[in-house]
Amino acid sequence: MLVLGCIALITGCGCLGLWLAYRIRRRPMELRECSMALALLDTEILWGATPLPEAFCILKERTDSPWQDFFAELQERLQQGESASTAWRETMITRNAQFCLKPEDWQVIGDVGKGLGRSDRTEQHKQIELVQRQLIIMKEQAEAWSGKQAKMWSYLGFLGGLAGVLILI
Amino acid sequence: MSLHYTLSVVQAPKVMSNLQKTMSPQREGSLPKLNKSAGLWRDMVRWFGDDIRSILLNLKGVDFNEVEELRLRVGQPLLVRTLDKDLFINQEGLTASPHKAYFIKHEDLASAIERMTHSSVYAVEEDLKQGFITLPGGNRVGVTGEAVLLHGQIQTIKHISSLNLRIARDIRGLSLKVLPLLLSSDCSICHTLIISPPRAGKTTLLRDLIRSISNGVPQEGLKGQTVGVVDERGELAGMWQGVPTYDLGFRTDVLDGCPKANGMSMMVRSMSPQVLAMDEIGHTDDVIAIADALRTGVRILSTAHASSIEEARNRPVISHLLDQGVFERLVVLSRQHGPGTIEGVYDLRTGRIL
Repeated sequence: MLVLGCIALITGCGCLGLWLAYRIRRRPMELRECSMALALLDTEILWGATPLPEAFCILKERTDSPWQDFFAELQERLQQGESASTAWRETMITRNAQFCLKPEDWQVIGDVGKGLGRSDRTEQHKQIELVQRQLIIMKEQAEAWSGKQAKMWSYLGFLGGLAGVLILI
Repeated sequence: MSLHYTLSVVQAPKVMSNLQKTMSPQREGSLPKLNKSAGLWRDMVRWFGDDIRSILLNLKGVDFNEVEELRLRVGQPLLVRTLDKDLFINQEGLTASPHKAYFIKHEDLASAIERMTHSSVYAVEEDLKQGFITLPGGNRVGVTGEAVLLHGQIQTIKHISSLNLRIARDIRGLSLKVLPLLLSSDCSICHTLIISPPRAGKTTLLRDLIRSISNGVPQEGLKGQTVGVVDERGELAGMWQGVPTYDLGFRTDVLDGCPKANGMSMMVRSMSPQVLAMDEIGHTDDVIAIADALRTGVRILSTAHASSIEEARNRPVISHLLDQGVFERLVVLSRQHGPGTIEGVYDLRTGRIL
């Protein structure tokens, strides 16, 4: 019984650690996907003058989940007549749980929605480019950290479980 | 957690409930009867914000088929123009005196513009410079406000103060009355100009002429001809993502959103049309392009704003075309007996009324 309890504690803590590590590894990937999607959006706006619902439909097809669902919801909201800035903000809130991004990432991504669709093409391009630059910096920082952090958490989970077992015994 | 993030979270339930609220009037829609025109009406009404939408959905005592224009002006009453009347509408959707009608707020216009452009002002940038937006379905919205200039050129319009939604009509068979008069002895189409004051049905007539010519009218001995349509303002075909809303016939090619002057030569070069149709000429570039297109042997069908032949002669650009003898037939429309009343068809070569 005791042995079973010990194994359960160690695997439990270990899995928690692995899950945290997975989330940390996903963050730079999601940021990269976001920056790619913004680049596509920029092209659609600047060269295609594509209206936003149509542009989001294209983004939806070209991105992977969870961004896919994010753009799908945006498209739906815009087609129902919501304004672009509210739709972007609302979608960020409802889809938040599907992402592994941190609040500071959302803050940068939220900046896209602020002037979206309100000005001419060159102005839109400038705004998206600004966000892009910030996103790239964040992605680089996240990449540098994620390797070490993820490794640390995956070990820390098991070791924490082990420490718990030792204390309890 | 950042301040911005916190704010967003706090606002979430409020906006969601708004969303649900906006959905409900559409679903419940207290329309008198659900017929085809009510469906069209609902389609039209979705371009407006919540307040105006609910008023228009509750509209009573107005025949939807007769509505021609919806006008919104900041600080002025909501106006619905029908065939022969100007109706001011109050909060309950009833016609009222101008003082008791619903007064348009700035937010009403802002949300209408947002909906009409799908929140993508940049996508209608070029149209907005010319003072209009074309909605999917070919309905045109006139826009006025404060023009922003750069080096004397209009950049955009800001502080939008008036909107005028004009409901496009598609009336089949309208052209059959005029068409026989536009045919020459060898059964080909004459170069034709349709003139009328605004709201008299120029575009509707041109649309039906295009369809008849493209499909052919056997009883008049007219075979179907290839028609090239240069639809600069997107009104003739009502293109939406490459699919025309209106049927323009079997042999019609549409160049959507292209300036007429460039479009005409593109069409002639690429699609070899027998007839070239375009709406509202009035720019000097158009005249040069028409003169050029004439030398390629195509027939021209076009419209222009003027209420009579004398008035047309006084418009420099049009008079230049008339003096050059470009057009062979002139159709004058008016609203005397409702839109689309044919005042006369002139043979410009002989000056006779046909």
